Amino acid sequence: MIASLNGIVKRYDSKLVLDYIDLEINEGQIIGLLGPNGAGKSTLIRCLTGMETVNQGNVTLFGDGKKPFQNKNKEKIGLVTQEISIFPELTAKENANFFAGVYGLKGEERKRRVAEALAFVGLAEQTKGKAQNFSGGMQRRLNIACSLVHNPKLLIMDEPTVGIDTQSRNHILQAVKQLQSKGTTILYTTHYMEEVEAIASEVVILDKGQIITKGTVQELIQNIQHEEKIKVEVSHPEEVSLANIQALPDVKQVIKDGNQILIVTSANSGHLDRILTIIKEDSGVVGINVEKPNLEDVFLTLTGRTLRDGGSV
Amino acid sequence: MTVFHYVLKRSIANKTSLLILFLFPVVAIFLPSGEYWPHLPYGYQYFGIFILFISLKLSGLILEDRMRGIAKKLSIAPISHFSYLAQNLLAYFLILVLQCLILVYGGVFFGKELYQPFWLLILFLTFSMASIAFALMWISFFRNKEISMLIFMSMISVIALIGGVLIPIELLPEVLQKVAITLPTFWLAWGIDWIIFGGEVKEFLLVNGMLILYMFLFLIIGSVKKLH
Ligand SMILES: Nc1ncnc2c1ncn2[C@@H]1O[C@H](COP(=O)(O)OP(=O)(O)O)[C@@H](O)[C@H]1O
Ligand SMILES: [Mg+2]
Repeated sequence: MIASLNGIVKRYDSKLVLDYIDLEINEGQIIGLLGPNGAGKSTLIRCLTGMETVNQGNVTLFGDGKKPFQNKNKEKIGLVTQEISIFPELTAKENANFFAGVYGLKGEERKRRVAEALAFVGLAEQTKGKAQNFSGGMQRRLNIACSLVHNPKLLIMDEPTVGIDTQSRNHILQAVKQLQSKGTTILYTTHYMEEVEAIASEVVILDKGQIITKGTVQELIQNIQHEEKIKVEVSHPEEVSLANIQALPDVKQVIKDGNQILIVTSANSGHLDRILTIIKEDSGVVGINVEKPNLEDVFLTLTGRTLRDGGSV
Repeated sequence: MTVFHYVLKRSIANKTSLLILFLFPVVAIFLPSGEYWPHLPYGYQYFGIFILFISLKLSGLILEDRMRGIAKKLSIAPISHFSYLAQNLLAYFLILVLQCLILVYGGVFFGKELYQPFWLLILFLTFSMASIAFALMWISFFRNKEISMLIFMSMISVIALIGGVLIPIELLPEVLQKVAITLPTFWLAWGIDWIIFGGEVKEFLLVNGMLILYMFLFLIIGSVKKLH
């Protein structure tokens, strides 16, 4: 086992941020840690890496539960922080060199690793460019390269694709897959479910400091296969009586999302007709869509909220 | 020694920093002398203030590391907080050594009356150490580089004033003279007097000893705060 968290509790003052977290990270996995903003993802990472002391529970790294944060273990971990942690006044190569040096790499090996890491994130041509002149996506990629120079066994990535263009994002997702195929284990944190669907071998969904479910993407979706999501686009969303729809048997969730009413019902409940009748009493119907469930729906079913807004319905 | 190496690199990464760091001591050599006081040319009398200013500017690199999340990454890397701080401070000290050398021996070269240049250099160096340690303590109270610098700049003139660097300490009210003893600049001013007027070796040792004591005090307070 690469790492594990057992019964981790973390509080800030009286605010409970991690609520008895149990998590196992096994060799070769890409764990997609999915959760809305404020779920506790970054805090979980800080506890896992020893940046923050926990109030309860213990952390094991590389089988070492006694002194998990000793240098021997630290050397095997790479962290891509949520913010871009690089020196803007220095070049890409100098940045990577700095982190290589901090991890004790020397001479030829250091040179080689720096060149490899930069090439890996697609910055081979820009090694002499100053980071401050890079685009947001390039800076994010450099941020990743700096976390890879020492060839970590466990790579932890905290929302590495926030605020970047699709091209850089795809590049990063591909890179993560490639790292996995070379034997790196990855903990990938995000609030974008498409990213998790694309790369994760196991999904862990975190909400309000609790792990609400985990499994492969297929497993999680299968668990809610017996459900159906009906999206009705309406002309006067504010007029529609959600309570009346909710009152129908077998209706599990009713959520207003802009012009759309999202209704989760048991599969084949035959409600479509009745739902439309209720809606049409108050508003025009512009469109109807019955969708196959995805991870978004898993979250929706379990929490009654959408991932995107993370909270308020 | 990667951190040490990179602190040097970063502190001279742009031309403005390079100019401030090395042109200023050269300019200071050629500043005029006062008529009655100070006895040393202004560039030398006020160099202590420059040292304080440079120390704070350099220690801003640690604050930058904190603001940028570099500190976070270092906290999970196999490098101790102590080693990180020590390498930073050592690099700052090296830069200040160069500046003091330029000022003192540049002055000797151009025939400035410095009384006892070697001891002046030693005095500036011990003051540099105290001053770097002070900067470390200072920034441990701040999260933001600009705010830390702003408050420091307003404080520094007061310290220099009542510490006897800007005006002779005898001109201050008695109460302030008593307060002055607790400031490192007081000991710097005393050391400068010793260099000009001479005195027992004991006295000069006391002055430097006090500065080093300050250094340890500031270091202890400044290094308690963790990286992130
Ligand atoms: N240092 C801190 N002090 C107090 N509260 C914090 C601190 N760090 C995080 N929190 C709170 O803990 C919760 C989880 O934060 P975080 O782990 O950053 O979430 P995520 O990374 O999933 O967006 C948030 O409500 C946040 O306000
Ligand atoms: Mg976060």
